[in-house]
Amino acid sequence: MWMAGMTFSEKMLKIDRRIIFLMIGLCTLLPLLYPVGLPIKTSSEVRGVYDHIESLPEGSVFLLSIDFDPASKPELYPQAIALLRHAFKKNLRVITMTLWVSGTGMADQLVTQVAKEMGKENGTDYTFLGWSPGGQAVIINMGQDLYSAYPSDYRGKPTKELPILEGVRSLKDVGYMVSLGAGRPGVEEWYVFGKDKYKFEMGGGCTGVMAPGLYPLLRSGQINGLIGGLRGAAEYENLIGKKGKAVAGMDAQSATHLAIIALVIMCNLFYFSLRQQRG
Amino acid sequence: MIFLRRQLPLLITLVTGLLFAAQYYVPHPASEQMLTSATKWLQIVGGFALILGVTSLFHQHAVKIRRQEAGWGYSLVLYVGMLGTIAVGLWTNGKESVEGTMTAFGWIYNYMMVPLQGTMFAILAFFIASAAYRSFRAKSREAAVLLVAAVIVMMGRVPLGEYLIPLSGDVSSWILNVLNSSVRRAILIGVSLGAVALSFKIIFGVERSYLGGGKE
Repeated sequence: MWMAGMTFSEKMLKIDRRIIFLMIGLCTLLPLLYPVGLPIKTSSEVRGVYDHIESLPEGSVFLLSIDFDPASKPELYPQAIALLRHAFKKNLRVITMTLWVSGTGMADQLVTQVAKEMGKENGTDYTFLGWSPGGQAVIINMGQDLYSAYPSDYRGKPTKELPILEGVRSLKDVGYMVSLGAGRPGVEEWYVFGKDKYKFEMGGGCTGVMAPGLYPLLRSGQINGLIGGLRGAAEYENLIGKKGKAVAGMDAQSATHLAIIALVIMCNLFYFSLRQQRG
Repeated sequence: MIFLRRQLPLLITLVTGLLFAAQYYVPHPASEQMLTSATKWLQIVGGFALILGVTSLFHQHAVKIRRQEAGWGYSLVLYVGMLGTIAVGLWTNGKESVEGTMTAFGWIYNYMMVPLQGTMFAILAFFIASAAYRSFRAKSREAAVLLVAAVIVMMGRVPLGEYLIPLSGDVSSWILNVLNSSVRRAILIGVSLGAVALSFKIIFGVERSYLGGGKE
């Protein structure tokens, strides 16, 4: 609240937070309504995932674990769509699942939607195994015996009868695996309990805020690529040549980042000016 | 009774702890079979843990409603929401859609849970901006370093930032790949060593807090 006798700097430091909310709201809304479409550079982290999928021969087994719930949908949903489009385009055998119970319905819709768009058939070209309780225990169980962890798929069909799983007994038979994680269980659990023991190649995807925490796994080669946040999704959309929601959202993200930087600079200017006034 | 409450759990922890630590290094089929069975059991126990969690949540909020404690109305909303969802879920056999048609359970998921969770996450951006304005000040040398690094990474992670300052992308990448990775790795090693030490303490019965309180 502004009070009489306050200096300009003091007033600005105590600015009504609704003004900041309005500024952020406008920075998000206006670029979505009037996109600019600035070029997006591809990072080596995202290229790692893309190049590996690109190198897989047709019919290879690709496992996508959709380890997030609707709260992280804006960042991770576009990543999942781009990855699935790429995998289906390459005619890989796509196995999808989730370790997050609250994400099951969303994951099913996502997989069904992209498969339909790419003309793929459930059970033959792809499957959605659904959710199974246990978190990391599911990963170990899948590494030991996939049919024990998932006796049936999400639609209730026995997994042993699915043509897509022919020759797949455990995680050892997976060609490439990507976990799109918004927390725990997620990328780290898949590495610790999955890749480390069952020796499959894996990549990761995560929210922007989680990405710095996964860089050590990337640098040591424990994961061969990382798609971080909406930016990572936008890079992947560019790589597969099908722009979607992530590319559309990058202008809004650019504007909000710049707005926050401007706010931080302003707040520091007012802070130092106030300190100088007070001696 | 002390045997059942104290010594038996300690014995089970010791035996299973050592057994499964050793199992990782023994690729014999019998050892692998043991792991398969144990993880299957873990999954089953995980399922029961869900029931335990829901029961505990119900109990906690029932007490709040009965005593009419502050905010008991929210507990009532929780009860209605949870019981309603469970009832609808059982009625539709847990299916969100049947042959392409959305069920009532699917409607709850798509039109209540998805937007509610999305909204909760989305409003974070507004609070982060407000909090950054109020508290991200270079009050000390360390805070100034953190501030400069944050500004560079924020610039380098968006196309507009890279367009305005072309070098920001590379500098941001270097900060994440070199500075961030090395510090994070040091933390991870420390945490992991701590976890190993704690595991040994639990296995050998030095750390017993997991047994809970009660009489000896």
